[in-house]
Amino acid sequence: MAPPVKRQTRKGKHPMSEQKIIEIEVLRYKPESDQAPHSEVYKVPFTDDMSVLQGVQYIKDNFDGSLTFRWSCRMAICGSCGMMINGIPKLSCESFLRDYYPNRITIEALANFPIEKDLVVDLSGFIEKLEAIQPYIIPKEPRTLEQGEYIQTPEQFSQYIQFTSCINCTLCYAACPQVGLNPDFIGPAAMALLHRYNMDSRDGGQAQRMELVASEEGVYNCSAVGYCSEVCPKHVDPGNAVNVNKINAAKDYFLRFLSPKGGAQ
Amino acid sequence: MEIYKADVVIVGGGGAGLRAAIAVAESDPSLKIALVSKVYPMRSHTVAAEGGAAGVKRPDDSFDYHFHDTVGGGDWLCEQDVVEYFVKQAPVELTQLEHWGCPWSRTADGHVNVRPFGGMKIQRTWFAADKSGFHILHTLFQTSIKYPSIKRFDEYFVVDLLEDEGRCQGVVAIEMATGEFTMIEGKSVILATGGAGRVFRESTLGGIVTGDGMALAFRHGVALRDMEFVQYHPTCMPITGLLFTEACRGEGGYLVNKDGYRYLQDYGLGPLQDKPKNKYMELGPRDRLSQAFWYEQQKGRTIEHPVMGSVVHLDLRHLGEAYLRERLPLIYEMAETFMGIDPAKEPIPVRAGVHYTMGGVRVAGNCESSLPGLFAIGECASVGIHGANRLGSNSLTELLVFGKVAGDEAVKKAQSLPPGNSATLLKQAQAAEQRVLALKTKTGGTERVATIRKEMVKSMEDGCGIFRVAETMQANCDKLAELRERFKNINLDDKTSVWNTDWLSAIELDYQLDVAQAMAHSAINRTESRGAHQRLDGPDGAYKVRDDVNFLKHSDAFYVPGSAPRITYGDVKITKSPPEVRVYGAAGEKADQERKASHV
Amino acid sequence: MSKRRPYVRPMGGWWKKNPFYVEYMVHESTALFVAAYAITLLVGLVRLGQGEAAWNGWLEAMKSPLSIVAHLAFLVAIAYHAFTWFKLFPLTMPPIIVNGKKLEPEVVVGSGWTAAVLAALALLGIVWRIAA
Repeated sequence: MAPPVKRQTRKGKHPMSEQKIIEIEVLRYKPESDQAPHSEVYKVPFTDDMSVLQGVQYIKDNFDGSLTFRWSCRMAICGSCGMMINGIPKLSCESFLRDYYPNRITIEALANFPIEKDLVVDLSGFIEKLEAIQPYIIPKEPRTLEQGEYIQTPEQFSQYIQFTSCINCTLCYAACPQVGLNPDFIGPAAMALLHRYNMDSRDGGQAQRMELVASEEGVYNCSAVGYCSEVCPKHVDPGNAVNVNKINAAKDYFLRFLSPKGGAQ
Repeated sequence: MEIYKADVVIVGGGGAGLRAAIAVAESDPSLKIALVSKVYPMRSHTVAAEGGAAGVKRPDDSFDYHFHDTVGGGDWLCEQDVVEYFVKQAPVELTQLEHWGCPWSRTADGHVNVRPFGGMKIQRTWFAADKSGFHILHTLFQTSIKYPSIKRFDEYFVVDLLEDEGRCQGVVAIEMATGEFTMIEGKSVILATGGAGRVFRESTLGGIVTGDGMALAFRHGVALRDMEFVQYHPTCMPITGLLFTEACRGEGGYLVNKDGYRYLQDYGLGPLQDKPKNKYMELGPRDRLSQAFWYEQQKGRTIEHPVMGSVVHLDLRHLGEAYLRERLPLIYEMAETFMGIDPAKEPIPVRAGVHYTMGGVRVAGNCESSLPGLFAIGECASVGIHGANRLGSNSLTELLVFGKVAGDEAVKKAQSLPPGNSATLLKQAQAAEQRVLALKTKTGGTERVATIRKEMVKSMEDGCGIFRVAETMQANCDKLAELRERFKNINLDDKTSVWNTDWLSAIELDYQLDVAQAMAHSAINRTESRGAHQRLDGPDGAYKVRDDVNFLKHSDAFYVPGSAPRITYGDVKITKSPPEVRVYGAAGEKADQERKASHV
Repeated sequence: MSKRRPYVRPMGGWWKKNPFYVEYMVHESTALFVAAYAITLLVGLVRLGQGEAAWNGWLEAMKSPLSIVAHLAFLVAIAYHAFTWFKLFPLTMPPIIVNGKKLEPEVVVGSGWTAAVLAALALLGIVWRIAA
């Protein structure tokens, strides 16, 4: 059974070069020949500085070039390399082999998404959700470039800045059983982004976004499991955005009786 | 083959590509835009930029200052008319981004704040903590969703350009999810594919930075300009090469050697300053700082680590945890997670690593290349603002300024041209498909992609390092020629269609080898030292100094099939800043005053 | 024809795969005990309305060993439910920002507990005085 999520940091300093061997078990799936996924185990020599991503790269470079996964920046900002590592959604670039040794590591594609091949999942549904929430400033008071920037006080800034930190790594979707049970649920990251724009003092689009919040795909799918916020590598706390919007949607519903424009106005 | 008919095709969904797409969509909503990217746009490497974007902001700053910093920083190899336009547009574009929601860091009164940066006379770097590139990219991506005329082709990998009637008319791409080919027609094609730094071993760059667009244009006869100028960033994480932003120094960090001595004062950047002072000490330009690191290493004054190799210390301790968490949160987390170091308590070991390709697809000030209809922007382009050494925070602004220019120019072109001859284009596309498929299906080869890549990056590091000599540069040229031959004998483990990254990385390696050759041969041919290209050789060390008589010139590398590239030279546009001695620190200030006095 | 064949993994038994989910399921199921206790009290109220005999009958039933065991179970389950419910506070409440900084989750949970303990003591005090 998987241990609870904990941010792993390096114990002891500067990695030494002593080479050890770790077993990495990867859930493989080749859509053109496999009926279902199966596991394969690789013995990977590693040093203490190596990330799980580097372990997977080692397999691809040296054992099997057909092993398929997404990656790019290696520094936990591009959001490409999420995987289930021992059952927990993590960025493989900032998880380290030394923290699992001498036990075997199991690696699997992010949960709650269809597997395209090996560790690559189908993200098109997630992207459609991002597109659906109108993730752009709908100006409250339009401003010309000659007028310069909008003024934003530290108070106003602190209302939304946390929710701008999402890197779209989708670990929170892999952590959310409700996403698994109902793939149409708009989900944590997209809702955090929606909330980010609603909370921005430059934006006046909350009323337009409210319909989606309260819809069939909206926040009421969430049963407050809270694991999404737990696994978020950037401390966005998407679960909070979802739950705060339950309150907003309820307010909006009741205030609608008082004003035809709804509570968001 | 799938066919999509667009008006404007943009290859690359990073900062530059997205800015161009938005420019097209705003300027003519009736035009169909195809935004093609091998990764989802928010994965593009713009995301990893940390420090910020330069644009005049404070009342004590001026366009003229930004201009002179940029041209001097580029060791006078900049196109000065282009730089003049760039510095004027910079604040406009950065303000535009603010209107689109970019969470720039602010002053207490709610205005956008600016921070000091290397080689800049006045604070003018707009920043969003130390995740400026991340915020710029996500703001642009999210804003782009507003425009229905932008059709994204996410995770489509471009393998060739289409060229007919003497102009570029589209691209051929692999849909990565299926392995099938799509032809995307367009009257204008904009390359925004980023740099090529992954041809080196230790770099700050993501795996996707493989010079695709450069190679595509190169193979269609377009020159790659100034490719010998490769920027080494002085403060990178050893082994991985991950970046510790220049903002660490802009915020007041020190660089010290094994004796705890701030060694930059020995390299024309002094005298010593307690507080960050623009263009002094740690706020010198990147080429000078990386070179100083190399000299310290030669003198045996770096710290020798059994695994990390030679390092110096980036010391942030005196800034305190609270300030570091506010201004440099990503740096703080990276030091903790990747190195087990608390930067408020311990100095961070760093060394120089490859960071940026100053050169790229040669384009004019309107971003159009010598192949009509083909534009290039961002790191894959050489529009001429970086010269021989880019100043930190100019490149994020470049994405915006020239993304907009290229977008507007592409609109003009698309509006004025008739549709192309689809039948001819399709024939070309099918030929490209056969060629690329052959790489996957062929059998009997013995070389692995990873092996050739490993040898290439090692050879480039040895032959195109911070300091260069003819002997190792020649060895590098020879090695690359050998690898080019061996590449023909490649064999893939994966011969399937769906998500075949074995195949895609072989195509990338093919691009990389071309770009590496352009770099290596441009480097060996430039027998002088300028900016990021520093030589230690020549008769009596003649190549150690700048040679304006022979080399105040851009290099142009041209593709020669099956052979080394041909290198020629072109003029540099000078408008108001004739070449001077390039000095920083106290000497720089003195030179500034003298220039001012002579103008009065 | 596309050769894509995305594989969808089954969701069966999902909650057993991670201790975090198990805790969630236990939390959710203890809500049944909260409901059961509420019903018990409600029945008492109804009996009270039906006259003295009915009320006394209910009181007697409450004293039976079975009832006492059930109430002990209620206590444990509801205490656990309360514990995990307070833990969810930082997730479900709008963030409280003081001096531009978000209140730490521990502070939010702590304040919740403090309020609950104070309320319980006050209630106990009132009942005590009425009983006296």
